[in-house]
Order: sequence, then C-alpha cells, then structure tokens
Amino acid sequence: MSTQYLILFFFCGLVPLAVMAYFLGRRKGRIFKEEGRLSFLSQIDQFGWYALTWMILPALGVFVLAFLLHILGIISVPAVILLFGALTVALAGLAQALHSISPGLRARQKLEKVIYFFLFLAAVISILTTLGIVLSVIFEAIKFFQVVSVWEFISGTQWSPDTAFLQGAERAGEEAAKPQFGAVPIFAGTFMITFIAMCVAIPVGLLSAIYMSEYAGDKVRAVAKPLLEILAGIPTVVYGFFAAITVSPLVVRLAESVGLEADYTNALAPGLVMGIMIIPFISSLSDDVIRAIPQSLREGSYALGLTTSETIKQVLLPAALPGIVSAFLLAVSRALGETMIVVMAAGLRPNLTMNPLEGMTTVTVRIVDALTGDLAFDSLETLSAFALGLTLLLITLILNLISTIVIRKFKQKYE
Amino acid sequence: MKTMLRIILGALVVFCLGMGPAQAREQVKIVGSSTVYPFSAYVAEELGATTRYPTPVVEATGSGGGMKLFSEGPGMDTPDISNASRRMKKSEYERCQKNGVEEVIEVMFGYDGIALAQNVENPPLHLSLKDITLAVAREVPQGGELVENPYKYWDEINPDLAHREILIYGPPTTSGTRDAFEELVMEAATEEIEAYNGEYTQIRSDGVYVPSGENDNLIVQRLTKDQDALGIFGYSYLDENRDRIQAAFIQGVQPEPETITSGEYPVSRSLYFYVKVAHLDKVPGMQEYVDLFISEKMIGEFGYLKGIGLIALPKEKRDEIREKVEQRDLLALEDLS
Amino acid sequence: MNNSGNTSSRRLYKRYRAEKRFKSLCILALCLAVAFLVTFFATLISKGYSAFRQAELRVEISFTEQSRQMPLAAVGDEVRYLVSRGWLRKVPRMLKENPELMDTTQKYWIVAEAEVDQYLKGKANKLRPKQQEVLKRLEAEGRTRLAFNTYFFLNGDSKIPEIAGIKSALIGSVYVLFLTLLFSFPVGVMTAVYLEEFAPDNRFTQAIEVNINNLAAIPSILYGLLGLAIFINTFGVPRSSALAGGLTLGLMTLPVIIITTRAAIRAVPDSIREAALGVGASRWQMVIHHVLPLSFPGILTGTIIGLAQAMGETAPLLIVGMMAFIPDIPGSFTQAATVLPAQIYTWSSSSLRAFESRTAAAILVLLVLLLLMNFLAVYLRQKFQRKW
Repeated sequence: MSTQYLILFFFCGLVPLAVMAYFLGRRKGRIFKEEGRLSFLSQIDQFGWYALTWMILPALGVFVLAFLLHILGIISVPAVILLFGALTVALAGLAQALHSISPGLRARQKLEKVIYFFLFLAAVISILTTLGIVLSVIFEAIKFFQVVSVWEFISGTQWSPDTAFLQGAERAGEEAAKPQFGAVPIFAGTFMITFIAMCVAIPVGLLSAIYMSEYAGDKVRAVAKPLLEILAGIPTVVYGFFAAITVSPLVVRLAESVGLEADYTNALAPGLVMGIMIIPFISSLSDDVIRAIPQSLREGSYALGLTTSETIKQVLLPAALPGIVSAFLLAVSRALGETMIVVMAAGLRPNLTMNPLEGMTTVTVRIVDALTGDLAFDSLETLSAFALGLTLLLITLILNLISTIVIRKFKQKYE
Repeated sequence: MKTMLRIILGALVVFCLGMGPAQAREQVKIVGSSTVYPFSAYVAEELGATTRYPTPVVEATGSGGGMKLFSEGPGMDTPDISNASRRMKKSEYERCQKNGVEEVIEVMFGYDGIALAQNVENPPLHLSLKDITLAVAREVPQGGELVENPYKYWDEINPDLAHREILIYGPPTTSGTRDAFEELVMEAATEEIEAYNGEYTQIRSDGVYVPSGENDNLIVQRLTKDQDALGIFGYSYLDENRDRIQAAFIQGVQPEPETITSGEYPVSRSLYFYVKVAHLDKVPGMQEYVDLFISEKMIGEFGYLKGIGLIALPKEKRDEIREKVEQRDLLALEDLS
Repeated sequence: MNNSGNTSSRRLYKRYRAEKRFKSLCILALCLAVAFLVTFFATLISKGYSAFRQAELRVEISFTEQSRQMPLAAVGDEVRYLVSRGWLRKVPRMLKENPELMDTTQKYWIVAEAEVDQYLKGKANKLRPKQQEVLKRLEAEGRTRLAFNTYFFLNGDSKIPEIAGIKSALIGSVYVLFLTLLFSFPVGVMTAVYLEEFAPDNRFTQAIEVNINNLAAIPSILYGLLGLAIFINTFGVPRSSALAGGLTLGLMTLPVIIITTRAAIRAVPDSIREAALGVGASRWQMVIHHVLPLSFPGILTGTIIGLAQAMGETAPLLIVGMMAFIPDIPGSFTQAATVLPAQIYTWSSSSLRAFESRTAAAILVLLVLLLLMNFLAVYLRQKFQRKW
C-alpha cells in the first residue's frame, strides 16, 4: 500500500471520527448545561473542540513519529498496522477526553495551549526552511570541496571542467589534466550582469520614486505606481523570452551600427532587462522610505528657501539613505539570484572580461546547466552546482545581514 | 470561524480526492537525454492520441540525470525508461545492479549526426578531423612539443583552407553532444598525432570555441550574420534550418541520412533508450510504447521520426532490435565496452 | 546693491534651472519605465496575436478501409502534407466511434500544417513552390481560412506545433497554486499571528524574524534545490508532480504571506485589542474574533500577490522536474503536471519556428491571468481599506 492510500484512509477514518468526537463532547456539555451544572469556565462548544483535539492529536503524533522513523531509515512500520494503530490511539484519546470532561474542566485554557503550540510550530517551519535549504546544498558541496579546495574554487580564474566530464565518461587517461574549477569568471559574469542591472534600476527606480513622492499629484501617483508594479508582476520567464528574442538581437544590431562586435549571448541584454525588472523593487521601497520622512523636515527646508530639488538632495535623501541603501542591497541580492532571464539570454561561456558585449555566464546558469545537462550524476561538475549554490546562498545572506544592520544602526527615529 | 472551518474541511476533502486515485500509476514515466527527448515525446504523444493509454510523461533530465533516476531502484516511483544520447556507462550499470534494477533492455533506435554548419551563402567548406581538432584543441603540437593553441585562422592549420577566422559555437561541457564530439572528432584525430601521446580531448577556452546551448536559435542567427562562424549542431537542428545554414564536408562527406546510416560520415552517434523490464508488465502502455517506438512507422526509413531529424538504422539492425525487444534480451556488463 | 541683486537673481535663476532639470530628470525616469512597459507589451502582442488564429483548410476526407490503416491516405495527394497529421491520426478512432462513416467522403475544415499556417499569415515558411501553388488555388477557391484557434485552449502540449495548446499547463498551474495556497496560507497566517500577538520578545523570536527576512531574499532556484533534496529525495514526493511543485512554491511564498499578514495585523489599532481583553476575552479569542477578521482584507491581498508571484515562477520548478512533456491533464496531485511558465520555457527553447508565436501567445495568457490577480488584490485593498 502506498503512502497516498495511507493518507487517504487516514483522513477518511479520521474525519468522521473527528465530527463524532465534536458532537459527543458537545452533547456532554449540553447535558451539564441542562442540569445546570455548567460553570462559567467553559462553554459547550469548547467541550466539543476539546474532545476533538484530544482525539486527533495522539493519532497525528503516531503518524508523524512513524513517518520520521521511516525517513530516518530506523524502522518502517507496515502501513496497515500503522493505520490501525493510529485509529486505535485516536479512539483511546477520545475515550479519555470524554471521560475527563466534567463541569469544572477548564477546556478553553487547555485548548488554547494546544493552539499556541501549533502557532509556534508554524513559526518554526520558517526556520526549518532555511535549515532545509542549507542542508540540501551543503552535503554535495562538501563532496565537491573534498576534491577541489575552497581556495582554488574562490580564487581560480580558469573554469574548464572538460576532464571532469571525461572522468565521468571513464575515458580520462592517466595523464589527463586536472579539471579546473576556478569560479572567478563565473562570479565575474554574475557581478557584471548585476552591475548592468543596477545601472538601469538605481537611477530610474530612485528618480521615479522621488517624482512620485515629491512632485506628482495624487492622480499621477495613482496611475504611475500600479503601472510600475506591473513590471514587478511580470514573470521572469517572460522577461527572459523578451531578452533573448528582442533585446539581444537589438543590442547586436546597435553594436554593429557603431562598428562594435557583440555576441548574441552578450551580458548587456539580460543585464538591461534584469534592471527593468528591478525598477519597481527599488522604486516602491524608496518611495516608502521617502514618504516616511516626517513632513516637518520638508517644511523646515522650504522655510529656509530651498527649492524642491535642493530639499530632496540635501535633506530628504540623506535622511532616507539607510532605507535606500538597504533597498539597493536587497535588489542586488535579487539580481544575483535571478535565474530565468540569464538562463534564456546569457551565455554559457565562463568568461573573464570587462566587455559587456561578450557572452558571459552566471552562477545560476551554471547551476541549471549542470543539473539538467547530460552529465553523469556523480561527476564533479554536477557537484559544482551545489558548491555554487552554497556560495550564492552565503552571498545573499551576507547582503541581507548588512542591509538589516544598516537599517538598525542608521535608522533615524522621528517623533 | 464556522465558514473558515467549512472551507478548510472542504479543502481537505478535495485534497484527499486528489490523492486517491494516484496510487496505481497509469502513466509511463520516461527521463533522460535532451537529444532523444523530441523523438521520445513524439512517440509518447502518438501513443496518447491513438490508443486508450494515457500519454507517457517524458522529462528531459539529461542522460546522466536520467540514468541516476533510472538506476535508483525497481520501485514504481522510479522511471520506466531512460533515454540516452550515449551508451550506458559501466558505473551506471553497476549502480543499477546494486540497487536492484537487474533486468534492463538496451534499445538503440537510430543515429544522430553531429554537423559543423555555416552560413548558407558561404562556399562549401571541406575539413578533415585533424583540421577541426587543431582548431579547437587547447594545445597543439609544434615541433614535437605541445604548445598553447596559437591558431587564429584556418589557413594557419591547413594551407589549403581559406584565410578565415576560426570561430566555433559548440555545446557546453554539460552536453552529451560535446562528449560525442570529443570522442568522435578529437579522440579519433589525436590518436594519430604523435605529440599528443594518446587521446587528447581538451578544448580551448580563449574565446575561439564558444560554448552555447544546443537548441539555441541565437546561434543560427549568429551564423546568418557572421560568415566566419561555424556551429556544432545535432543533425535534426541542421535539418530544421536548411534555409539558413549548410553543413561542412568532413573527410569529404556531408551529413545526410544516407551517409550517416552507412557510417560514411564520421561524426555520428547512436541514440538509445533503456527499458526497465520489471515494470514492463506492470505499467499499462509501456510495452505498447516500446513497440510503437521501434515500429517501422516511427523509426523506419520513412517513419515519422525521420521527419523531425532522426536518422534511421539500416534495415537489418531495425529487425534485430525488434527481435531483441520481443525476446527481452537483457543487457549484460560485458556488452558495455 | 544693484550688482548684488543681479548676482542673487542670477543665482536664483540658476537654482531654478537646476530645479527644473532635476524635475524633468525624474519625469524622464518615470517615462522610461512606462515606455519600457509599453514596448514590452507591444512586442509581445505583435508576436503573439497571430497564434490566436489558426489556418484551416476545407478538405475531403474519404473514410475507407485503407485510411483506417494509414490515416494519411484519407486525404488527396495534393493536400496530404498540407493538413495537420495531428488531425489525420484521429481518423481511425473516428471510424471506430462512428462506423456509419465507413466508405463515405465528408468535407471538413481541418487544421492546417504549421508551415501552411505560416504561409497564410504571410510569414517565412519552408513550403515548396509546388505546395504554394496548390495553396494559392485553394485560397482562390475559398477553401482556406484563418479561424479562432480553439486548439490552443483545448489541447495539451504537442510536438506538432499546430495542435499544441496550453490546457494541461493551465490546469497544472491551478493544481500547483491550490497546493501552494493550501500550504502557505495557514502556515503563513499562523506564523504571523504568533509573531505579532503571542511571541515573547526573546532571542528566538528575533531569530525567526531575521530568518523570515532572509527567506524572502533567498534566490528562488535554491528553493528548487531544497524541493529536490527534501521533498523528492527524502520525503519521496513523486518527481514532476503538482505536489512537489506546490510544496516548493509554498515554501517560497511563505515569507511573502507572513510579511504582508504581519503588516495587516499591525494595522489593527490596539484599542480594539484592549477592548476585547477588557470584556474578558482571552488572547486567542481576541485574535480570532477581532484582529483576524479586521485584518482579513489585508491578508487576502498579500496572499493573492504571493500566489501571483508563485504562478509566474519557473526556476525552482525546473529543478523539481516540471519541465517535461506532459500533454495530459493531471488526474491527481501526485501525477506529473506542468505549469504555464514551464510550458512557455519549453516552447521558447524549441527549434521549430512555429512555436515562437505560440510562446508569445502563452505569455499573453499568463500575463492576463496575473494582471487579473493583481487587479483583484488592488481592488480588495481599496474596497476594504479602513482608516482607523
């Protein structure tokens, strides 16, 4: 019997039981009420919920326990036994609950304790997610770093995994050169594209935010803001298609018209499109920050005779700077981790160059390529995807940390 | 509160219903090479459209990724068939054995030529394997020593060739096409060159060889613009874009179905799929899928797959394979060189 | 005096010039962003609109024993390769279902081959001159037409471009979104309620808060790696299933929902909480009877925005195997499914040129859906927004 059936039967068995438990509990409560023995401590509904909880919780507990044991490979309880075991436990729980229901029972308090516990559990899931992400990359990454030293990985300038492929293909000769996994060219490509994106997003995003918060009337704002937000809502795969089909050829043609040569997989096209994608990110965050500055600062500045632009440049921007900086950092981490645009429009060639018209590759492209390519699963290059993922994760975390610190440290408090 | 409860209950019921019928897997699951993917998907679709079986699910995971999933075990949650643009490796076979996938049928169903293509307006280009190797290798012999590849123009390699810049768009290291290219072109050529001292397969990374995606329309656009550039493609892709690109002659032969089938064209590889015998009788439609795939209607000389770029096996070989599948001839370790 | 007045007025003039310059720069920036949006949609529409119409040919089908064996024989030599094979292969089945058709000839409007479609739309095609002549004659006889492309909406994916559609991807998207919602909404709201209303102010709570901000910034592709390692490899969720995709996207949407829900809960004034507590409600009763209902519109808006994001996401799904050829509609959450963005990606990397306009058309459908979701969110926000 498969897991799916198990779950199906579990719910099919449990749901009617739960309904039954609720009504049984309530009935008991109603009897108390009719007898006039019900105290103010609980209401009849709460008895119902109490019975239900005490029935479901132990059964769920049994299930989770069996599941954990199964996952950890300690013991696999046969599905049928598990099912009956869980239902038996559920019935026992129900009997116990019904037994313990008495007019003086503080059902509400007990229920709320359970609720708190579940709320807490939900909050813990977010921690588990982070843990899961770290765990899912770290083991394979360690395998990779056992062969390639960390230093070689972060400082090497040659990324040529050719012979890793051969080793996977069992055709590597004794004297074959060692594959080189210097990630510098890959990070160079990533940073180059991010840089281009920022060159587009920062001025356009920031200036639009300033216009919307300081110059525009309510009407313009009501139209412009949602329009910009549409940009944020466009899926990245669509941006990628646009970059590959429209922008890349355009860049090549433009470059040709001024006598330059550009690759079709140039870094400029995905960079530009990514920049556009990030505009609303920066503009809405900056807009919030600028608008949060108290009106008194503006009025003070105008009273001194400053023009609007002077107020913005000399009063508002400095006051909003921490918020804006942290918005930039978040935008940078967004750009670094962006996948679809670069997968569709950027190149595959690890290339250490300053020329954005050449093809470059990025971390995310390598990850996708290594995990969906024809490589053998245990080849070093496949493992390198996890090492790159780990590095990417670390960079994002660090950027986020810096941005949190910037906000905490420099945020001005206005009263 | 009551409404919310009702919604949650409703959702749970829907959820359970969704879970329910899933158990007996009624779809064939196929994973593997992205080169074989279009052929496999075509057959799958045909099966779904013309029979009562559901359409098999075909996922392009790459040959290695496919083998990994395939060899995970005999359970029903593992794929039934793995496509590959190269032969199964010994290590992969051993992993199959170790994990309980003991019975595997190997089916070679056709060829794929690897073409070196250029702009259709260029004069025809004649290259030898040695020319190509010297153009893309990281190091080349000069005076009996291996030195960093200095060649920038074709006529530096071979004076018979035109003075034309070397620029080659080819598959990345993660691609099976690259593996095949290295094996069929570079290994074959370097074996005969003394200085390499055996086989040599490293490709230069100074920008002369530009790794690009295989099915990249951008490369074709590049070739139509840049008359110097060459692209390395699978034959099916060349066929699709005949109006824009033409294939170079390699050792005096152009990739054509006839020359590839006969083996005259040196740069061609075989395409395979591997069948998990344990699932063959359990998954409905799987036997039919395999039979349909190897039927004359699909892989024959005038089969549908030819229309999307497959190169047919010779007649005897096709019969041989059908025989093999019918007999359920299993793959053994000795078969894999 | 006069002189200094001159300088100051000149300086004033300069300052006003600077002011104007700055203002126009700001306007320019905004216009640039909007201009991009316009070109973006214009390009997609111009590329994609043609896919909503599909060439059809009026052709005689002869139902004979031969055409049951070899569907291609059902049509005349001349048009055999001009009509879609995807239609012809259904002939044996039609015969099986309607035996009375046997040995009759019927006239149908049949969907045309992709190259014919390209030709009739005036695009580059690979038809041979002879075929073009035949088509010209058919055109003159009124036997060609461009009809609304119902196949695009009613079919699943196909390797034959003219009958490829987005139905299975759309339904797959619905499945995945439903699972995403089922997972991320309760967990997200519960987390937010915990953090806002119950959590003690200690290290652990702060760690959770920092962590949630981190999660929001983690690249989506890493969620894909998580889905692959944890859900598929450890929990044994079937690969490429809606369940794998939904859970992965659910985790990804979680921080969005938590953050917006917290904002919505925070917007409920304390006076309401105090009033509830004052009449003897417990904290939980206060939350469930007052705070949550009042913040519900905000929570809903945030959830819709989070779901819209999840609907457009592709990268993590690429890793959990949803980039596959799945023309059938998934029957359950554990069956293989594909989603709209994944479909767009597979089509965009197809070598057949006929797929390009279909890709753009699928994008248009996706964008319309996403815009609708966003409008809904904005509408809800505006309708229920309350000033305290």
